Amino acid sequence: MRISSSLLTDNLLSQMNQLQGQQIQLQNQVTTGLKVSLPEDDPAAMNQVLDLQSQAAANTQYQSNITQLQSTAATAANAMNSLQTITEQAGEIATEAGGVNSSSQLAAYATQVASLIQEALQAANTQNAQGNYIFGGTIDNKPPFSAATDANGNVTAVSYKGNTDQSQTPIGPGQTVSAQVPGENTAGNGPAGLLADTGSGADLFRDLISLQQNLASGNTAAIASTDSPNLTADENNIVAGIAANGVLQSTLESAGAAATQLSTGITTQTSNLTSADLATSLTQLDQTQTAYQAAMQSGVMIMNLSILDFIQ
Amino acid sequence: MLGLFGTLNLAATSLATQQESMAVAGQNMANANNPAYAVEQAVVQTSAPIETMAGEEGTGANIVSISEVRDALLDSQIQSENSAVASYTAQQSALQNAEAYLGEQLTNTSGASAAATNGLAAKLSNLFNSFSSITTGAGDPATVVQSAQEVTNQFNQVSANLSQVQANLNTSIQNDVASANQDLSQIATLNRQIVLAQAGGGTANDLVDQRQQTIENLAGLADISTAAQSDGSVNISIGGVAMVTGDNAIDSMQTYDAGGGQLLIQDANSAAPLAVTGGSIGGSMTVRDGALSSLQTGLDTLASQLITQVNNIYTGGYDPNGGTGRLFFTGGNAANIAVNSALVADPSQFQASSTPGADGDTQIALALANLAAQDNPDLGNQSLTQSYAQTVSSLGDAVDTATDNLNTSQAISTTLTNQRSSESGVSIDQEMTDLMQFQKAYEASAQLVTTLNAMMETAIDMKTT
Repeated sequence: MRISSSLLTDNLLSQMNQLQGQQIQLQNQVTTGLKVSLPEDDPAAMNQVLDLQSQAAANTQYQSNITQLQSTAATAANAMNSLQTITEQAGEIATEAGGVNSSSQLAAYATQVASLIQEALQAANTQNAQGNYIFGGTIDNKPPFSAATDANGNVTAVSYKGNTDQSQTPIGPGQTVSAQVPGENTAGNGPAGLLADTGSGADLFRDLISLQQNLASGNTAAIASTDSPNLTADENNIVAGIAANGVLQSTLESAGAAATQLSTGITTQTSNLTSADLATSLTQLDQTQTAYQAAMQSGVMIMNLSILDFIQ
Repeated sequence: MLGLFGTLNLAATSLATQQESMAVAGQNMANANNPAYAVEQAVVQTSAPIETMAGEEGTGANIVSISEVRDALLDSQIQSENSAVASYTAQQSALQNAEAYLGEQLTNTSGASAAATNGLAAKLSNLFNSFSSITTGAGDPATVVQSAQEVTNQFNQVSANLSQVQANLNTSIQNDVASANQDLSQIATLNRQIVLAQAGGGTANDLVDQRQQTIENLAGLADISTAAQSDGSVNISIGGVAMVTGDNAIDSMQTYDAGGGQLLIQDANSAAPLAVTGGSIGGSMTVRDGALSSLQTGLDTLASQLITQVNNIYTGGYDPNGGTGRLFFTGGNAANIAVNSALVADPSQFQASSTPGADGDTQIALALANLAAQDNPDLGNQSLTQSYAQTVSSLGDAVDTATDNLNTSQAISTTLTNQRSSESGVSIDQEMTDLMQFQKAYEASAQLVTTLNAMMETAIDMKTT
């Protein structure tokens, strides 16, 4: 083959350009730790990475949603436990009142029940960390239970201002729960009312008020025949609410665990798709550098040679 | 028999021949680094012999022509490879611009996996997450509005930048067409000069070199076909339409707007569209009407789907004051998508509830958050984010393909150029060796003159003594 003078230099230049291009690419891999950084590097991997990225973002949001709901559910559990205690105490009073004849003793019980009613009202109007009322269904910006009082300051009736709806929150792919609890459901269908529910016949405030009034009027017969069994039904209803809350909390917990696991999975998958193998990249970089040096050195050697050096 | 004077004459032509050969070698060495130059050779031929009693007798050698070493096939291959390289270069650079404007570049975020945090994908995720966050009661509508504005800004910016890339392509098509037309008329002029120079049986090597360079330059702008004529001229046609015939530039290229703001090419004489597929002009049109246009369409479809789907759900929602029926997004495509200005001014108008008067009802926000993963028949049964990832990946494919094609055609071009350089390039070593050869021959011829001179003196001396 005939070698023209420019062929040598042109060839050397194009080879060195190619080697330099490879060096830059490998150097980028080593410094960023990524073998894919632009869509052109690996379009299919980029597609998957963007998909994984949106999954990861959604997953992070699920985790934050779960944390929010867990806090609300814990607040609700506290309130439900106090309501159960209150109901229990009222039930005890109702039982004890059956053996009491002294009207002053009954009046003292009545006062005690009056303060239980206040406590129950407070617990029923519990707010979560954001100031939203938990037991009003989806009407969460005003106290769900409001009391009417007589001239003596005794509660005569408690009305429910909430509704029987529950708004769902996503906690996983296609998985939603609600931490909103309707305080009262008189429709006979839908989610159970925590304090008053037609299905179970419970109505805590009706029964507390009735107990207080019967204590005040000394009607121990009515207490034994009506209030006592009603309060038992109320307590059962609240216990059912506490059980539902327990299910919610454990659902949240397992969804949280799943989200953590998913997050690890996504990280691994993304890393598999994008991470450069440092050992391989460095070895390749080393090889390319050697080739580059060899090209320069041999180029200098060959180009220095000319017949001009040998003829006089 | 030549006799003393005949032989002296032979020596003189020999001297002239060696001198001329040296001049050609000198010209070759002078052009050693001229890429357009084809190595020249002095073609030496024995001069007409004379008949003698002893048979034919030589009368020395003459230079009959100075030819250049050119392979017409290689030239035409290089020329068509030039068109390919220029076309893929134009495509690659425009697509890489678009890729940069999309902003989907993976970076290693500390402690987490690699993510493209500045692109539309991340911003869309943020928007859907902000909807989701509303459903916990802890979310802030102002955050939703902000996330939505980031999405719309990104759509607007990318769309504007892509339009700019397309506008730049139109400008470079115009410039390329102007240079191509200049090349065409230059080729016609060179044709005239070459035909004139060769008419008397002469050669026009340097003009041919110049014309070849112009033709290759033109091939870099548009795919052309050439036809060498017997008189030494070369005819050029583009897209089957004759542009240069002999020394006439009979036609030229023209840009025209077919109505979409995208410049196309027609021939100036008949105003009929020209099929230019190669060269930088062809490459620019291909990428503009191909990958870039589908990227723009993909973004527009995505934006319009986002607008429609979000609005469809959102208009049925109620804000805390019972307000309803308003839109979330306004506009219809990637260029003009925007968040409803009333909502921007007052984020508390966000219609999250499915029933009026229930603040804790966030079913509309939930439905909006669910859009993220919902398959959409208008997006090929993909979700919005999947469809966008697909669009990004398609662009990546286009860049990848353009780069591969460019590398391939560059490799072919290098091989061909090396081949031509091997055949037509100047080798200093060879010229130097030739030079020594010519020098020795020149010395020998000079020696012949000296010898003849001595012989002639001897002959003259015969008479005087």
